[in-house]
Amino acid sequence: MARYLFPRWSNKVLPLAFFFGLSPVGTAAVAGAWYYGGNKHLEVGYQPRQPVEFSHKLHAGDLGMDCRYCHSTVERSPMAAVPATETCMNCHSKVRTDSSKLLPVRESFATDQPIPWVRVHNLPDYVYFDHSAHLAVGVGCVTCHGRIDEMPRVRQQMPLSMGWCLECHRDPAPNLRDPALVTKMDGVEPSKAVPLGTGMAKANGRTIQPPLHCSGCHR
Amino acid sequence: MSDLAMVQEDVPGKRVPLVLGKQDFHSVTESVAGIVEGPTPHKWKLLFVLALSILLILLGSLGRLVTKGIGVWGNNTTVGWAWDITGFVFWIGIGHAGTLISAILFLFRQKWRTSINRAAEAMTIFAVMSAGIYPLFHVGRVWFAYWLFPIPNQMGMWPNFKSPLFWDVCAVSTYATVSILFWYVGLVPDLATLRDRAKTKTRQIVYGIFALGWRGSHRHWLNYERAYGILAGLSAPLVLSVHTIVSFDFAVSIIPGWHTTIFPPYFVAGAIFSGFAMVMTLMIIARKAFGLERLITMRHLENMNKVIVATGTMVGYAYAVEFFIAWYSGNPYESFALMNRAFGPYKWAYWTMVSCNVIFPQLFWFKKVRTSIPAMFVISIIVNIGMWFERFVIIVTSLSRDFLPSSWAYFRPTIFDITTFFGTFGLFMTMFLLFLRFLPMVAIGEVKSVLPAADAHPHHDDDGHDAPGSEGMSKEPVHAA
Amino acid sequence: MPREPERNKKGDRPAVDAGHAAAKAMSEAAVEPTTSSTEADSGEVFALMGRFESPAEITHACEALRDAGYKHFDAHTPFAVHGLEKAMGLPPSRLPFIVLGGGITGLVSAISFAYWSQAVDYPLVIGGKLAFSFQAFIPIFFELTVLFAAFATFFGMWGLNRLPTFFHPVHTYPSFHRASDDSFIVSVEARDPKFDMTKTRELLEKLGAREIGAVEA
Repeated sequence: MARYLFPRWSNKVLPLAFFFGLSPVGTAAVAGAWYYGGNKHLEVGYQPRQPVEFSHKLHAGDLGMDCRYCHSTVERSPMAAVPATETCMNCHSKVRTDSSKLLPVRESFATDQPIPWVRVHNLPDYVYFDHSAHLAVGVGCVTCHGRIDEMPRVRQQMPLSMGWCLECHRDPAPNLRDPALVTKMDGVEPSKAVPLGTGMAKANGRTIQPPLHCSGCHR
Repeated sequence: MSDLAMVQEDVPGKRVPLVLGKQDFHSVTESVAGIVEGPTPHKWKLLFVLALSILLILLGSLGRLVTKGIGVWGNNTTVGWAWDITGFVFWIGIGHAGTLISAILFLFRQKWRTSINRAAEAMTIFAVMSAGIYPLFHVGRVWFAYWLFPIPNQMGMWPNFKSPLFWDVCAVSTYATVSILFWYVGLVPDLATLRDRAKTKTRQIVYGIFALGWRGSHRHWLNYERAYGILAGLSAPLVLSVHTIVSFDFAVSIIPGWHTTIFPPYFVAGAIFSGFAMVMTLMIIARKAFGLERLITMRHLENMNKVIVATGTMVGYAYAVEFFIAWYSGNPYESFALMNRAFGPYKWAYWTMVSCNVIFPQLFWFKKVRTSIPAMFVISIIVNIGMWFERFVIIVTSLSRDFLPSSWAYFRPTIFDITTFFGTFGLFMTMFLLFLRFLPMVAIGEVKSVLPAADAHPHHDDDGHDAPGSEGMSKEPVHAA
Repeated sequence: MPREPERNKKGDRPAVDAGHAAAKAMSEAAVEPTTSSTEADSGEVFALMGRFESPAEITHACEALRDAGYKHFDAHTPFAVHGLEKAMGLPPSRLPFIVLGGGITGLVSAISFAYWSQAVDYPLVIGGKLAFSFQAFIPIFFELTVLFAAFATFFGMWGLNRLPTFFHPVHTYPSFHRASDDSFIVSVEARDPKFDMTKTRELLEKLGAREIGAVEA
């Protein structure tokens, strides 16, 4: 058969494909992966439905309860404990005892089975995070969890990615406050902190040096 | 076939021609392009089905690994690297022969490379692909394999540039990239030949696209030849750096038996050794199957055998030096590691390695063995077995004896270790068979350039080597018989 | 080197034609060794093509064209014929400078990236070494230099050659497919000031072209 000759326009295909195909598509792909691939997009906004419609807005906001009433171990242990049903029943044995919304709570109390709360803020297993250490130096709850007192249903507000953790570990000063006021959600001024170079600051009467090495968190 | 028999009588001072028989430009095109253009041989189909089924075994094993976890392999706490890294080093080593033949022999103006370089380069790329499987999958969660590269990520961190493992990532990915570029540059003029000969429109278009509209213009050849030479010049130190850096994965650690300065040259020699053995195995089959005895002559095979015996002896020397240094340094841990290697629980592997790599290749000192196809075929396979054992011995014997005797362990592969390694041969074979079927397995243009007829000034005689100072790829004639 | 012009007369051709196999004879039969009929009877002429059959012939033809003062002519050969660039009077390739640029870019970007990522953006103390322990980064500097130089070579070469050019007028020459097999084709472009349909044709005929034909732009 006759030799196939490429048509004249075929010479333009590659440059056109490059300028109008590859470059915009490539840029879009990189930008898209950058924006949509990170925790900021993938994790922020996680708001699972809980077995009981517990409203932090009502309890911590309107009623003004302190976080530590329920999350009682937060100052002494790595874990900020999810309260036992008994903690709920401290009040709810007297308050709204016939509310249908509280039926699972009463059931749990009666059967001695815990309420299957759904965890919202979940770090990978290979990360060691200690609540008590952060509270002791004066990192407020609101810094990582957002305005819990305004959330009827808890929603993840921060990306909780390693890069996000590091932002604060490298420059802790703006996020430090008086340790007595850690649970206060608004209207708290940061402590007067003196930066001491990368990842160090003098605040609240002590030198604060959050770890930047691998085994600080991956132990 | 009288010219084939003639090869046996090598007249001193007179080189055997690189291409046998009365060959002209057209007959070279015919004999190479004919392979690609002819009907698909039944043997090829059979082999391809076989290769594909082995490839399926690989995919199955990797699927199991991804869904279940790295624990399906036999690696344990002490022996954290085992068949995975053995397979990686084995394949990456095999890849080295291709670049060596195509780049280093090119720079040394060894024109006997022209008949074998294309297939050897293809082999390099497929071997590096097979090797790449291991680092990719031994990270366990393969979807995080991009962490190996310095890509911005949400952890806000970068790979550790002080780590030999990151050097290895850079070296192997650069090596793969440059090998592919080099191979493709070499292919373009031959793809143009296939385009111009193609009988169907599909083939004309497909080969036409990959030939990039090559028209053999000498203005193009001028840049092309320069590019080829530069890529060869870049590849030559690159290929040496790759296995040097692979050896750093071991040598920069502090494990007795790994922490030795002889590792880089030892690994490079071993890589060339195993690579030439693999080229040998494949070439013996391919030249027979496709009737290329006139292009891939006994002289080519014999030269490769000489390289095998030389590098095999270097490897043997390295084995001996390791023992000498262990004794001479007075380091008890090093001595223990070496004695354990040769006389410990893995002595069977050690002595397999020594006999395959050091003893058998010595037979190539005899011209009878060096020019006997069955003998070289068997020895090339023995060498490949031996080189696999070399990596196994280095990795597993050292790791199985920790500084703490309580963590000593004996490594046993699981079925998935075996099927993964076996499966990489399926990947390699599949790719190689596709290459043989659809691309010219001998560099048509380059072989033409070493034909006696290729000389534009046929007035002076030489012995197949360029006069000193001659530039670029020489087109000097090689003796016609 | 315009030596031995008498060698290239038809009667005394180099060894290439001596042992033609049967296959060669077959392909020869398809194209008559006379002036081809593809005269450009309409449209603009791009070039006059002349087909030769050996490296020696085309080298001689290029020398003659060069000596006759032609600038815009080209040789299409199945492999790089050594010495043809001298016969055509071509300057050496500029590619090495592009490669040098690529290599330097690679080295500089490797060093600056290593410095920024290891010492500025996230310094990590490993083994008590300095953040910018450049001795340990040399393998990476080397690899990146080679990688960039190789890319510069690859893309630089295609760039200098203006390839891919899938359509080029010379492809329309009926015997052009033999330029990648066993023929050595000269194309003398019409834009050359010396170009003249009859005179150029006569010159090619005198040089012993087996076929001569014009291609349209």
